[in-house]
Amino acid sequence: MMVAPEQASSRTYDVVIVGAGIAAAIIANEVSKEPGVRTLVVEAGLGHAMSQEGYQRYLETFYAAIDKDNNAPYPMNPNADMPRTSVLKKLARGETNSKAYWVQFGPYVSDSAYSRVLGGTTMHWEGKTIRMLRQDFNMRKQYGHGLDWPIDLDVLMPYYRRAEWEIGVSGEVASQRALGVEFEKDYVYPMHEMPPSYLDQVVAKDLNGMKLRLDEQEYELSLSTFPQGRNGIPNKAYKPLNGGTMFQPVGAVTFHQSEEGERCQGNTNCVPLCPVQAKYDARKTLAKALATGRVDVLTQAVASEVRFNKSNGSVQDITVKVYQSRERADHRTFTVRGKIFILAANAVENARLLLESAVRGNLTLNERIGQNLMDHPYLLAWGLMRKNGGVGRGPLVTSGIFGAAPSGDTLRNGSFRRKQAAFAVDIHNDGWGWVDGSPVSTLMDAVDNLNKYGAGLRQELVDRISRQLLLAFMVEMPAQRTNRVTVDPAYPDALGNLRPKVTLAVPDYSMAGIEYARTLSRLVFQRLGAEDFTNYNPQNYGYRTYNGHGYEIRGGNHLAGTHIMGTCGADSVVDSYQKSWEHPNLYLVGAGSMPTIGTSNTTLTITALCMRSAEAIIKDLKQQPAELHSH
Amino acid sequence: MRNPIDTRAELESYLQTAIQVEHATIPPYLTALYSLKPDPQHSNVASFQIIRAVLVEEMLHLGLAANLLNAVGGAPDLIRPGFVPNYPAYLPTGETDFEVGLESFSRRAIDTFLKIERPTPPPATESFVKVNNVAYVKHEVLATGRKKGRGMLPHFRATTDKGDELFLHFWSIGEFYKAIAAGFRQLAYNLTEKELFIGDAGRQVGPEHYYSSGGEILTVTNLQTALQAIDLISGQGEGSAGRIYNDKGELSHYYRFDQIRQGRYYRVGTDLPDKPTGHAFEVYWDEVYPIRPNVKVADLPPHSELREAAINFNHQYKTFLHRIHDALNGAPADLMPSFADMFTIKEAALRLIHNPLPSGGGNAAATFEMS
Repeated sequence: MMVAPEQASSRTYDVVIVGAGIAAAIIANEVSKEPGVRTLVVEAGLGHAMSQEGYQRYLETFYAAIDKDNNAPYPMNPNADMPRTSVLKKLARGETNSKAYWVQFGPYVSDSAYSRVLGGTTMHWEGKTIRMLRQDFNMRKQYGHGLDWPIDLDVLMPYYRRAEWEIGVSGEVASQRALGVEFEKDYVYPMHEMPPSYLDQVVAKDLNGMKLRLDEQEYELSLSTFPQGRNGIPNKAYKPLNGGTMFQPVGAVTFHQSEEGERCQGNTNCVPLCPVQAKYDARKTLAKALATGRVDVLTQAVASEVRFNKSNGSVQDITVKVYQSRERADHRTFTVRGKIFILAANAVENARLLLESAVRGNLTLNERIGQNLMDHPYLLAWGLMRKNGGVGRGPLVTSGIFGAAPSGDTLRNGSFRRKQAAFAVDIHNDGWGWVDGSPVSTLMDAVDNLNKYGAGLRQELVDRISRQLLLAFMVEMPAQRTNRVTVDPAYPDALGNLRPKVTLAVPDYSMAGIEYARTLSRLVFQRLGAEDFTNYNPQNYGYRTYNGHGYEIRGGNHLAGTHIMGTCGADSVVDSYQKSWEHPNLYLVGAGSMPTIGTSNTTLTITALCMRSAEAIIKDLKQQPAELHSH
Repeated sequence: MRNPIDTRAELESYLQTAIQVEHATIPPYLTALYSLKPDPQHSNVASFQIIRAVLVEEMLHLGLAANLLNAVGGAPDLIRPGFVPNYPAYLPTGETDFEVGLESFSRRAIDTFLKIERPTPPPATESFVKVNNVAYVKHEVLATGRKKGRGMLPHFRATTDKGDELFLHFWSIGEFYKAIAAGFRQLAYNLTEKELFIGDAGRQVGPEHYYSSGGEILTVTNLQTALQAIDLISGQGEGSAGRIYNDKGELSHYYRFDQIRQGRYYRVGTDLPDKPTGHAFEVYWDEVYPIRPNVKVADLPPHSELREAAINFNHQYKTFLHRIHDALNGAPADLMPSFADMFTIKEAALRLIHNPLPSGGGNAAATFEMS
């Protein structure tokens, strides 16, 4: 349960976890199944949201916020700050923006974000749970780009399955298989797919069967649903995979009964927060861990230094700064101790904490820490359809556009990957919201520029919003050591911790994919007879030119790669169990461990990796602490 | 001892009544729920969640009652005259010491809700318990003592040994369902299970048709599943075997509402009746739209926007009931699309509740007049 810092620092835990997002929740939950194992979870942010009232407060903050970015529900907290779009600006080459939490240098500005609150970035994720493809695990061998994993898909298969149970995935295996995703024989998802929205059906009618040529292959396009971590209708066929019983969707996290969240209602308000908690977030797993009574959570505690034992490199303890109020910087400093330490604070924060520890302890750590930072750059394309598409119904995204060639290649994995990045394409059920904040922008335009009012205004809004088609292309990005997180004593936060300095430049390989994405969007709009309104503003902070054309690039919030796994300490930071090569009782977990992220949103793979790590952690614990062996 | 139910016709009539009972609670709960002001400073979010949770389960119970009726070859009727009570009204179980009405969230409304959901009392030494000059009897006693029914359910005048006149009827919704359970057992024995459960399985509403967060709907095909469905309804309503929780550890409806009265949550699984020890929450009794109780269309000025809105609401609600009716009569797959109507119903109700009556005396509200 929630624990005071005096108590937490007076104990030696078996496992100390920094962070309370999905990676932390999975590991806390898995290790807490072992009767003797006591775990401490250290969370930097406010810990309000373990009750329905706390969650409701977040929702109300979001509803009232003018700038509805991903972190809008979470009040400003300089003691555990997080990236927010409202403080970003376009930067000239060499110019620095040190006002935002991330210190960024021009010309590269990313609006990628994560949430430093209990539940982590699942407190604003969209909920897509796509498995990675077999080829994604050895991109360098196959296509000469990016890196290779030390493990392949087969190793992760059983963990993907467990991850899909834990998150509660609604999806359709057959249509995923057709896109090259692999499953075990007879596998089905716990729940049926989210039904395609009316918009999907309207688009599919005209788009299905469309053909295009890419890298000398002909791809046929069609719509298909995404598997999602939101509650739908349990699948009877899942019973044999679930001990003979129907899958039970997990509802709202609450200390009392609320009967909420067991099903998605299609509010189209999934990001950042599902108003009815039908979308999975890490609090659901954390609540189970807490129910064992073997897990303590210390909130408003920002880890500021990992201290190492000089003789064998093992972690000795972690210094945390505990603040009383987000409004004030005064804090007390404690140390927390455990047998095994897990950094699960996300790719940027894990690296930031270790790099800061190196500065404070005057240490030299693995040089790859902080390097190889990746994300999914997004390109948006928007148009107005000829007919009413019923925009505004369903969860944020239900279907995507997929292409398959007779060879078995798809737009997520084809021979073209030798030259350009692959991508996945979302059809957004919420219109142009991501582009310009529609429907508010549509309202302003109708009032200010078209002088609409009364019934005419209502009609104008219905007519326009219901036809807004937004395609979002999520493009893969290979690792590069120059894309990185560092720290600089010149940029501390309110508590004196060092803020991340981030360099995230989109490589040409991804730009080639983005260029093709724009071409594809034009073809799709043409086929649908939609009017293309796409217009990339050179003043946008994400504006970037390639081959003479400009694009607005948006962050995907899928930050990864800062402590990649590999085959040895010379090429990587952790092993395939996410265990540090140099520090025998330290695990660095999350997307930071991933050498590639392909065209899959990272959360499902993070979950699978952490389930596997939890087994290794339990095994480590069963040995005497003195025998915790180094590699 | 004779069961109150020993013919198929009686069972069907009780099950139709069960559907009406479950439905009759929905308009009062909805009205109280929608009367809560969305004020972030003095938010009644806890009360809102509690009422909403009960409401969602009442809808599940309606579906379960329909499954029970369909299982024995009956046909649920949600569109017959009088299906929606003319509020204020007695519950169709026949309890006559309190009326249920359409009014704002208030202490009085919560007291009424507590009466609706009142649990079965500890066994009485007498054959009945006398409260407010009305006697409630356990269903077995009611059955043996039955003289003549009033309406479809046993309900009659009697006198005590001392000559006091009493009105006998079911003690609670729980007792009412016990009578139904006994009737199922009796008829399954008399007719054989095969002869009793002659309903078309295709009329059953299953988890694939029903989208709810209040628990999973059970399809009814035999005595075992019938009794499970009844257990689920009465367990959620008034707890299992006299406890305040059901088998899954859920707090019963009565004690959920009691949390609002006491401004404090029960800690699930450990707390005793009337002594919640969970965390306290504020109840802002004044942060509500002041609805004029049981307002009727006729109370609204002719040709006014309010009147139009009230008529429009009733039309929408009627359409909704028709769609549910059709779905429960052989088209369960149509149930899910009909739930989208709930969003328009909510908007239509809020439009009324947010506006004062020109004549004073409070705000308008949905009148739920179906004829």
